[in-house]
Amino acid sequence: MALNVKPTRSELINLKKRIKLSERGYKLLKMKRDGLILEFFKVLAEAKDLRNDLAIKYARAQEMIAIAETVEGHIGVKAAAFSASENPQIDLKSKNIMGVVVPKIEARSVKKTLIDRGYGVLGTSAAIDEATETFEDLVETIILSAELETTMKRLLDEIEGTKRRVNALEFKVIPELIEARNFIKMRLDEMEREELFRMKRVKSKSEK
Amino acid sequence: MTEVMSGPAPYIYVSTRMRVRKAKLIPREEYLRMLNMSLSEFTRLIEEMEYKREIDELSASFSGVDLVENAMSWNLAKEYQRVITLAPGEMKGFTRDYLHKWDIQNILTILRGKTQDLSDGKIRAVLVPAGELDATMLDRLLAETNTERIVEILPEKQMAKILSAGLAEALETHSFGILENKLYKYYYATLIKAARGGMRGGLPFLKYVTFEIDVKNITNLFRILAQGKSNVSTSDVWIEGGSYHVDELERLCSVESMDEVVDTLKKKIKSPVLIEALESLRERKPIYAIEGMLIAAQLNQMDNVSKRNPFSISPLLAYLERKKYEVSNLRALARGKEAGLAPEILEKYLVM
Repeated sequence: MALNVKPTRSELINLKKRIKLSERGYKLLKMKRDGLILEFFKVLAEAKDLRNDLAIKYARAQEMIAIAETVEGHIGVKAAAFSASENPQIDLKSKNIMGVVVPKIEARSVKKTLIDRGYGVLGTSAAIDEATETFEDLVETIILSAELETTMKRLLDEIEGTKRRVNALEFKVIPELIEARNFIKMRLDEMEREELFRMKRVKSKSEK
Repeated sequence: MTEVMSGPAPYIYVSTRMRVRKAKLIPREEYLRMLNMSLSEFTRLIEEMEYKREIDELSASFSGVDLVENAMSWNLAKEYQRVITLAPGEMKGFTRDYLHKWDIQNILTILRGKTQDLSDGKIRAVLVPAGELDATMLDRLLAETNTERIVEILPEKQMAKILSAGLAEALETHSFGILENKLYKYYYATLIKAARGGMRGGLPFLKYVTFEIDVKNITNLFRILAQGKSNVSTSDVWIEGGSYHVDELERLCSVESMDEVVDTLKKKIKSPVLIEALESLRERKPIYAIEGMLIAAQLNQMDNVSKRNPFSISPLLAYLERKKYEVSNLRALARGKEAGLAPEILEKYLVM
């Protein structure tokens, strides 16, 4: 490979500095990558549990809505659903995991008491309460799951990016810098030898 | 033809007609047979029953199980309107009072739908004109865009008064829950007043109402207890006129021991079914699982009252309740089969 570097002493010093910096960056990025992977596996375990929990809660919510429709009919369930006028509110904040900004979602007004739900207690049955409660649970888990899944996705993206940078440093940047350094070293040595030889020739000619 | 409006004749006439209608209702054995049918077999059977006409009428607007449910609700509404028409004199007034429950449900559905800007079609699909407010009146209410105007044109003035008193708060808080509770409390107070009004069978019916109020209060108490401790006042949800005083029920809401609640409640009731239900609740069984048992007990009590007072208002009310639960059972079967519930689970939700 043709190297486009000037074989000067200052360039050599410069290159040595860059190699040192790249090696330090490489070590740091490698540590960051390993840290992110550890963090990812922690989140992954949590997300796995939450996914299972979500599946269970979804099945339970489906079962309860089926029971509510069996007891109250679709008409009864729909009439009770007309009472829900407020959508669940979420607060979106962010937190930092090893330099990766991930969302922190806090839900408000998802779970309500029987009195606050908006439907009358006297005109509905316990089957509606159960169905509402299971769906409130489900929505809460979905919100929590959204937070974890987004965190996981962001961590994966960051791991991917860091891995690419580590590989670039390890297999391209640092070897190229070392090659350039060696080339300059070799050229400088050669130039020194040439100079010495020239000096010797000049000396021998002047002695004659 | 001169209509006889006083004496025992109207009671004999109405009671006989109701008994004939009640005899045509689906018996327990038939429900057990239906439990083992597939959904298609079941819907085919429904189409061959008295619901065929409504199924044909509504088939353009609905399909599948929604069609079955809506057809049955319409059949129920029409049947109740026919009963109101054939009941003479004071029985008509009492029947209307008794069916006000449907009016409350329909008015609140309209008000809720209107405040949420739902289309008239969507709201209409959830209405069951089985009360005093027939389909024409409900359409008139639906045509109004202003909620205050809906309340103004209601024919039942006392109900309109309660609604207009609480409407502003309900609109502000976006919750009709308190208003709904007030209307149901008024409904039970009206029933108690009417039962004490000297009508034939009124006093035995009062016992039934008291039983219903007890069941409602007990189930609501356990529904609130199931929510866990809360500082919200529950004074709105108790119906007066039952075996328990409102203060007593409110106090029980803050008791943490389930055994203490059950023991306190048991002191005032004699009904073995209610005692059995309370024991089930002690074992932390879900309330929705024992509601069917309580309703069945209520209906049996109503039947007993109606047998002991054959020429009174009771046979009419017994028929109305039995008809309501026939529709409810068929709907439960259709919905349960659609959801894939096992026959043994489905059986628990049938009132037989």
